[in-house]
Amino acid sequence: MSQVTSGSNPRTLADELRSRADSDLAGLLLARPDLLSPLPGDLSQLATRAGTRASVQRALDRLDTFGLQTAEALALAGPPCSQDDLAVLLRDGEHRLSEALATLRSRALLWGPPTAMRLVRTAQELLAPTPQRPGPTGLGPTLGETVTALSPRRAQELLAANGLRATADPVGAARALAELFSDTDRLSSLLAEAPDHSHEVLRRLMWGPPQGEVSARPATHLRWLLDHALLVPTAPGTVVLPREVALALRGGRSHRDLRPDPPELTVHTHHRPERTDVVAAGQAHRALSLTESLLDLWEREPPAVLRTGGLGVRELKRVAVALDIPEPEAAFWSDLAYAAGLVASDGGTDERYAPTPASDEWLRLTSPERWTRLAGTWLGTTRCAALVGERVPQQGAARGRTADRSLAALGPGLDRGPAPELRLRLLTLLASVEPGAAPEQSAVRERMRWQAPRRMPDTLRELLCSAAFTEAEHLGVTAHGAISGFARPLLTSAHARAAEPDHEAVALLTGRASAATPEAGARPAAPDAGDATEAVAPTVADAGAGSVVLDTTGPELPGTGGPRDTGYVRDDGGAPAEGATVPAGASPAALAEVDPEAAAVSAAELLTPLLPEPLDHFLLQADMTAVAPGPLVRGLARALNDAADVESTGGATVYRFSPASVRRALDAGRTAAELHAFLAEYSRTPVPQPLSYLVDDVARRHGRLRAGTAAGYVTCEDEATLDQVMADRRLAPLRLRRIAPTVLVGPAGGDLLLAALKEHGYAPSAESTDGAAALGAGTPPRRTPPRTAPEPQPDGPPGTDAALLRAAVRAIRSGDHAAGAAPNAGGRPPSDPPSGLPRTEPAETLRLLRAAAGAGSLVWIGYVGADGVATQRVLAPVRVEGGFVTAFDHTAEEVRTYPLHRITGAAPASA
Amino acid sequence: MNGPLIVQSDKTLLLEVDHEQAADCRRAIAPFAELERAPEHIHTYRLTPLGLWNARAAGHDAEQVVDALLTYSRYPVPQALLVDVADTMSRYGRLTLSKHPAHGLVLTSTDRPVLEEILRSKKIKPLVGPRVDPDTVAVHPSERGQIKQTLLKLGWPAQDLAGYVDGEAHPIELREDGWQLRPYQQQAVEGFWHGGSGVVVLPCGAGKTLVGAGAMATAKATTLILVTNTVSARQWKSELIRRTSLTEEEIGEYSGARKEIRPVTIATYQVLTTRRKGVYPHLELFDSRDWGLVVYDEVHLLPAPVFKFTADLQARRRLGLTATLVREDGRESDVFSLIGPKRFDAPWKEIEAQGYIAPADCVEVRVDLTDGERLAYATAESDEKYRFCATTDSKRRVTERLVRRHAGEQTLVIGQYIDQLDELGELLDAPVIKGETSNAQREKLFDAFRSGELSVLVVSKVANFSVDLPEATVAIQVSGTFGSRQEEAQRLGRVLRPKADGHEARFYSVVARDTVDQDFAAHRQRFLAEQGYAYRIVDASDLEEAPEPDAEG
Repeated sequence: MSQVTSGSNPRTLADELRSRADSDLAGLLLARPDLLSPLPGDLSQLATRAGTRASVQRALDRLDTFGLQTAEALALAGPPCSQDDLAVLLRDGEHRLSEALATLRSRALLWGPPTAMRLVRTAQELLAPTPQRPGPTGLGPTLGETVTALSPRRAQELLAANGLRATADPVGAARALAELFSDTDRLSSLLAEAPDHSHEVLRRLMWGPPQGEVSARPATHLRWLLDHALLVPTAPGTVVLPREVALALRGGRSHRDLRPDPPELTVHTHHRPERTDVVAAGQAHRALSLTESLLDLWEREPPAVLRTGGLGVRELKRVAVALDIPEPEAAFWSDLAYAAGLVASDGGTDERYAPTPASDEWLRLTSPERWTRLAGTWLGTTRCAALVGERVPQQGAARGRTADRSLAALGPGLDRGPAPELRLRLLTLLASVEPGAAPEQSAVRERMRWQAPRRMPDTLRELLCSAAFTEAEHLGVTAHGAISGFARPLLTSAHARAAEPDHEAVALLTGRASAATPEAGARPAAPDAGDATEAVAPTVADAGAGSVVLDTTGPELPGTGGPRDTGYVRDDGGAPAEGATVPAGASPAALAEVDPEAAAVSAAELLTPLLPEPLDHFLLQADMTAVAPGPLVRGLARALNDAADVESTGGATVYRFSPASVRRALDAGRTAAELHAFLAEYSRTPVPQPLSYLVDDVARRHGRLRAGTAAGYVTCEDEATLDQVMADRRLAPLRLRRIAPTVLVGPAGGDLLLAALKEHGYAPSAESTDGAAALGAGTPPRRTPPRTAPEPQPDGPPGTDAALLRAAVRAIRSGDHAAGAAPNAGGRPPSDPPSGLPRTEPAETLRLLRAAAGAGSLVWIGYVGADGVATQRVLAPVRVEGGFVTAFDHTAEEVRTYPLHRITGAAPASA
Repeated sequence: MNGPLIVQSDKTLLLEVDHEQAADCRRAIAPFAELERAPEHIHTYRLTPLGLWNARAAGHDAEQVVDALLTYSRYPVPQALLVDVADTMSRYGRLTLSKHPAHGLVLTSTDRPVLEEILRSKKIKPLVGPRVDPDTVAVHPSERGQIKQTLLKLGWPAQDLAGYVDGEAHPIELREDGWQLRPYQQQAVEGFWHGGSGVVVLPCGAGKTLVGAGAMATAKATTLILVTNTVSARQWKSELIRRTSLTEEEIGEYSGARKEIRPVTIATYQVLTTRRKGVYPHLELFDSRDWGLVVYDEVHLLPAPVFKFTADLQARRRLGLTATLVREDGRESDVFSLIGPKRFDAPWKEIEAQGYIAPADCVEVRVDLTDGERLAYATAESDEKYRFCATTDSKRRVTERLVRRHAGEQTLVIGQYIDQLDELGELLDAPVIKGETSNAQREKLFDAFRSGELSVLVVSKVANFSVDLPEATVAIQVSGTFGSRQEEAQRLGRVLRPKADGHEARFYSVVARDTVDQDFAAHRQRFLAEQGYAYRIVDASDLEEAPEPDAEG
């Protein structure tokens, strides 16, 4: 126990820590491991770190209900607070009070002598009720905080109404009023005068939430309460019950529902422990065979990995069908195998899940060891297969899309930090009752809630609890709700492995009350049943239910968010927290004696006699079945699986031999002789004759037809010649193989064979595909398969037609005219061009050009060249189409094509 | 943790026969589990809803079942299975069929939601009448069988408390002069009588007729006996005259040839299912008298129209007799629901051990086809393949050799294809009995065979059932109806009558190697193999050199 040395009152937390024993400090660091990294330089640093908001939050989250209530009461009382004052606030909890205070102190949340205890400031801030946040106590602000907000005149009015003397300032007024309300006698005499309905109003606000709503014109009874400062307005339409009044009405209690004692674990049924163990062992055996079947299944048919990771719904269904279990269970086993590293994605381009090399190691273990591995994995994993199928918002979805996806087994998003801690707590609770007893599930849930109310939201706790109950049954950790004997050592080892071990649990599980935990045995009896049922009412969530509508005429408003919004969950690694029942400074002595490995071994040892012994034999029967009357040694099971089909599974396995199954074994490389020997060796009964016949029959036909790949062959009627070829070293590179006396085959093609044989002095001839046209004709003239001739790809101009030729001739003629060689002819261009560029409308231009082309006459055009210079040209148009005119240009004396849009106009040229 | 029983997750129970507690365990699980396979070492039982409900009907409760499983199980019993057993059994009895003084037949429920559920079923609606009160609904009396069958399919079996009519009384006594009902026959009769109706499964040759006679003597009422064919009808008649106080005049034959209706009437399935203008004129036979008992011989062959009519006979006691309750059409459950649950069942090997049926040596003779035959087989149309390989000359030669080898013993050659049989008959100089052989001729030949005048008889499938040929010691099967399991068992049954000299019976199945014949043979042998008849396989080529099988011991 950390006790402050009397006489020297510490001034700060650091001061007090300095005075604590080393073991206490060790206890602090054990309970709040976050303080360890990085390691604080000195105690002042430690104290500072212990006072940071995140760290305090974390510490508060790990308090049990009463520890938290004590801290809340301390925050309410304000520093400094004496233990006596605290005892008033926590009436009926006195018997556990010193223990709770010791816990707070050991976690460095509380310091100071018992007469003047102080919460760490951050904790004080986090827990004290404020006007905005009444907190779990449901208390409003103090009179001081409320009355000072009123006008001085109003304050004096209130004093007068209560028959008090006027004071100088509102602070004095608040003090006077507080004094009045704290005096029970004076308060009750005051209340005796209150109008009828006012008591009702006070009762409704007394336990919180303290805010109420009133209309602009309150009813008489409300007005009376307001006038006497029993209700104080905080905002228009809102009133609050001052803390002093509420406390006085409550008789000084801070909590309506104080829960100093953990809810009782009511036992639901008793079973004989041996029966429990047998049933659990049956489940354990089933767990192993299911996991092995899963590995077998995925080895043969590896399922694809979803693009978003995880196992698709269809693949999960396939597992469920193959293992003959419901889908949620299939999700559990596959995810467990994944968590245990037995299956993983192969990382290929076409990504698939497949058994890992580690699974081979696992399979080599004995059944109990295999089970301990599985169960150990389950205890420690943060993965939670029960979440499979829940819909969550799509991560990384395109903006603006609200698509959600469902969580997939083996996929991301299944990790829940507090899961392992919760499982361990739950099982520890189950282990705390006598062997074979199954506690009521609801009682266990209630206790879990009591142990760490702020650790996680209730919905998550419920989900994880249900999952833990079911999964524990699946695995055989529990049977009929009672923990199995062979699972107990595992819990110890899990506790020892945990980052924040639970010493009490370890002590309990190892059956040894540690000297450091004297209270464990002396814990007061649990409250009676009546208390237990009432205790179901939540303490935290209810208080935040918002304000109560007081005025019947006022509108009913939904509650405003309370402390629920403060967010109790932080998935910070999920290391198990200590229950508040662990006394301060618990030495890790009990823990040091626990070797996790040894615990796992002892679990395996306990399980060994309960699991069916693997057998090294089976029974063969004349109806072509083999019965393995128990689990087979792994290698034997595999071998038998190859040669026969499984017909039924369970405690025993029934196999049936069929031609197909025997063929499978032969395909796998076994010979008939091996199969006979195998059956004879491992069968307890004589091998039935029909079975031997079956093996021989199938073997006789197996591989009678053989197929392979060869690119070329050599055949010869004369075996001696082939002997010679085979013996010829020069032909060795051809890698010829003799598959019949007269046939050689090889990986080289026919041409190569021919060439090589010719080269080395043989006289081979080619054989056609039908084999008939063997010798003789020699190589036929080479021909290609039918081919179409290539399409012409001209890069010159296309051929001319008659019109163009005509035009060309005409053009040539015109050219002649232009040269002035034959001035007599009528085709001469007009010597007098029109003045200026011809300008016509485009339609007119087109018409003139077409007419000229039709008549073969000449036109003048105005043409704007690419350089922007307009020129006059004489054309003999040939063709006008597609926006172009093709013509013999008399000016340039060649055939040219002009775009119409560049032509300014046209005019007939009279020849 | 070292019991003889292993409970499998597929609801089969494996019983290790050689375990010291095996007999106790068998007795404990027999009331609720069906014996599925009984080979040498491990017998397989199966838990079915029907079996569990029958156990409930016989007064066993879920606790007994669970206890039996837990007591004898070697390994922990899967919890889900126990829960399932309890669940299944609790479904029985929530609905009861009973006689109501005012409303006649009524269906009553102790669990109203169940009644509501089944009344909403489309299949139930036409079968029920008006609601009498919230828990009771009237049922048309004629639909008693139908509603039971439908409820069974819906998973809510009704307990039938409506009882049986006594029928028209008729004195029948067993005349046990110098013989007695064997213990198992006695048990079968009692089992049937206590259950009211049901099926008795006994191996061929174990005296099912006497179980029928015993039941008649217990009922002492007019009886309708349905048999497969006329020869069988005659055998029933002579057996009844020999073993009971009934006289020739009291027994009528209702067949294609004769239509007599007497206090005890033996009718063939064939005549009952004759159809004219869409109606079955002879089904009226069921109503022609106030029958107190209806006996169905070879119940595994019960034709569909008779099924339908049997549904309307639920108020009369019904006894089904069979050796092999394996229906290739999978209608076993219809037999159970319409005629009644299995009341008695004995593994073949057990009866054999008691000496009531002859021990049998089953041999599969593998015949190598000649190369020519193999080629022809390979190129045959797929629907002709079986016929081809089943009737090859090689097989005929081997059969001939077998017959020669057993010269002097009473030998039956059984086959499927008439031309093959005709050929064999010619070759072996033996008469052939086939479908077209007249009944008179058949009986003449059978008599000659029984008396030893004839030692070899070639028969088609007409002799599959109910032909009593006690002295036949060798049966040679040359071809069969594809993979029919029950046919194989019935044919073996022809030689299982205990021999006067305790001689071992021999059953040869001649099979062409590497053909579908071999595959079918494997399937055909399954039932018998599951009953513990281990086939020996002999190569036809070895037959010559092999010593006489008798010498092998």
